[in-house]
Formats: sequence, structure tokens, C-alpha cells
Amino acid sequence: MLSEDSHVPDEELLLASDGELSPERAAEVSAHLERCWSCRARRQEIGQAAIDFVRHYRESRDPLLPPVAGPRARLTAHLAQLAALPAPWRTRWAEFFEKRQVAIGMACALVLAAGLWYGLPGIPSNSGIRPVPLSLPDPNLTPGAIASISREQVCRSDLPRNRPVSSSLRHEVFAEYGIPAAEPKAYEVDYLISPALGGADDIRNLWPQSYSSAVWNARVKDALEDRLRDLVCEGKLDLVTAQHDIAANWIVAYMNYFHTDRPLEMER
Amino acid sequence: MGEDLLMAEVAIGLVEHATEAAAGRHAEQVVHFFDLMRDRLLRYLLGLRLPVEDAEEIVQEVFLALFEHLRRERKCRNARAWVFRVAHNLALKRRGRDRRNRQNLSSRAGDAASAAPDPEQQFLRSQRGMRFSAIWRALPEQERRCLALRAEGLTYREIAEVLDVSLGTVAASLGRSLARFARADGR
Repeated sequence: MLSEDSHVPDEELLLASDGELSPERAAEVSAHLERCWSCRARRQEIGQAAIDFVRHYRESRDPLLPPVAGPRARLTAHLAQLAALPAPWRTRWAEFFEKRQVAIGMACALVLAAGLWYGLPGIPSNSGIRPVPLSLPDPNLTPGAIASISREQVCRSDLPRNRPVSSSLRHEVFAEYGIPAAEPKAYEVDYLISPALGGADDIRNLWPQSYSSAVWNARVKDALEDRLRDLVCEGKLDLVTAQHDIAANWIVAYMNYFHTDRPLEMER
Repeated sequence: MGEDLLMAEVAIGLVEHATEAAAGRHAEQVVHFFDLMRDRLLRYLLGLRLPVEDAEEIVQEVFLALFEHLRRERKCRNARAWVFRVAHNLALKRRGRDRRNRQNLSSRAGDAASAAPDPEQQFLRSQRGMRFSAIWRALPEQERRCLALRAEGLTYREIAEVLDVSLGTVAASLGRSLARFARADGR
């Protein structure tokens, strides 16, 4: 109980303002504040300090935040690919058990226990993020690399759209991205900056792009490459900008150059 | 208040959709939650002295992990505290790794690698921010973290969960640090 002569400590004044006191203590503090000008003034001072802090905190950081569009597109693309994968096995097993009686679950557990006893492989812990089909390269591994090539050379009709990647380079790329030996056929080792736009045969310009991606897949990127090359050759876009944009984030570039937030039907 | 309600709705929505088969809906919900939380997480991570590129990378990792978590566990009791906790832990891990890398570099090259750009330096240059920054820098790291999380709208319980400390520690930290700001203003 607060006496009329004692004051509420700062910490409790703050807790009271933040609604973090127990109801009983909050009632006591409230009753005291009605009587005590000193504590009311102090509460206001602390409240004003909090307001000032939040204002300065925001002002010091908000100007540093980059635009959200690129990161949002990147997240959306990754999630679309994760969503296209089958649910993790633990979820499916959990659903199985939850839909049935505990007895069935117990029976399965016994079978599993027996299996483990006889040396079946261990069950994966499934913690952390699974490997995902890649819509975007890792910028540290694949920042993009260009060959010494002019706009005129890019626009020659006999310039191949893509060059085959050597088997050894493909293996290097898969190893770099930690893709298991059984998986490579699910990916196209693609140029980040395509040879048709002056991209180099360099591991820094190569990454494993998924065929299975439902949304931002290799075929969609091919359409962007064609569009950029057309714009460069029509003199509407300079080659360096085209190379930069596709290397920085090809999904954002697609959205910008096709004025859409998802792949157009014709590119699917 | 309105925003808090919205946050609560999103958190509930995440739980509900996690029970549905359509993973695409989970993804939509995660993106919606990203829209609400991205700036808050970035601001907090910048306060942990991470370069903005690293902070952005961590935010991506956090939301991919949230999606995985929802698909695996089918629920997230408090998505707001969850994303801050994961971001906090990832940031400390990365900071430790970067510090080791810098030490390796400096021992090899014979001079110190340049430290990551400190976002607060920029604000320091403004007259208005000088006093704020001086007090902020004088605070112990734990108090700074508590203040930043509170400024991002987390409750005391959520802050305690993110930082893995007791409720009493959160209350004492906030009380002490705000009292310093109040004193510095001559209050």
C-alpha cells in the first residue's frame, strides 16, 4: 500500500503507463497519482522522454532503410518456390496422427521404434531451412560478370542467345551452391547476364536456376533477356544499364520492364 | 492501437492458415506480415550495428524461416516476438562471424579491416541528434536493445522472450534508460 508521504518509483510509473502492472498494484498507483502532484508530474516527464526517444529513434534510422520493392520481390519469389514444394514430412506425419486415434499413433510409434532398433536410418531432424529451388542467385556467389563486348556485337543477328556451359563448370556451380549430386537435372545452370547481353563464361556469372519453379523460372527470365536485348538494339536502353539491372535482381527488372508484378501468361 | 489490432489479426491469421493445405496462402500471409514488420526489424538490426545489406539479408532469412516454421509446426504462438527473436539471434551470430573475419583479415594484411559502416554515425552529424546519440551510446547494450524493442511496439513479455531475460530485467532496463533521457532533458 502506498502511503501519502511515499512516492511511486520511476520504474513503477513506467510500468503503470505501459499497462504492465498487476491490476491490484495498478489500482494502488492510480489512487496515489490522484492525490500526488509530484508523482503525476514525474509520470508525465517519463512519458515525454519516451515520446522523444521514439521520435529520435525513428529519425535516426528511417532515412537509412532501402526501398522495400526489391527485398519484397525476392521474398515473394522464394516463398512461391517453397510453397510449390511438398510440405515437410513432419507436418504430413503430424496431420496423419492428428486425424486418427492416439492408438494408431502409438502403433506407428512402436513400429518406428522397432525399426530403429533393427538399424533403420535415423529420421532427419528437419530443423532449419531446406534447400530451395533458386529463382535468384546468391549475390555473393554470383554477382554477374561481363565479357568485353560492344552493343554492335550484342545486336548481331548471329550472336547465340546462350552458350552451353561446360560439364566441369556446371559441377563447380552445383558444388558452390551445395546442390546434391542427385538434383542437378532439376536445374538449368544459367547465365545471370546472358551471353546475348554480353555476359561472360565465368563462375561468377553462373547459377543453378530451377526448372520446377512455378512462378519465376528460367523461361520467364529468357523472356526478360529477349526484351532487354530488343531494347538495347532499338537504342532505347544502354547495354550497361541492361546488364546492371538483370544482375542486380532480374525479378525486379522483369517487373519494371514488363510493367507487371507477375510473369505474363505468354512467358509461362 | 489500430496497428496493434492489425498485428494481432495477422498473427492469428498465420496460425489459422498454417492449418490449411494451401501453402500458397501461407506464403501470402508471410508476405503480408513482412510488409508490416520489415522496417521494424531493419531498424532494430541497424541498432545492433549491422550494415544495412546484412540486416536486409537477415530479414529475408527470418521470413523464409517463419514460412518453414509454420509449415512444420502449424502454429506460431506470437509471430511478432518470434520474428524479432530469430532476427536478434541471427544478427548476433553474424556479428560474431564478421568480427572473426575482420580479425583474420587484419592479422593477415597487417592493418585493421574497415569496420562495418555504423548507421548511427550519420544521425550523429545532425545537430538534432547529437544529444540523443550521446545518451544512447552511453547506455549499456542490454538497455539499448530493450528500448529499441519497446520503440518497435513489443510488450515487456515479448522483449523478455526476444532477449531471453526476465520480465524484471526488462522493466528495470527501461526504467533506468528512460530516466536518463528525462534527466538529460533537465527533467
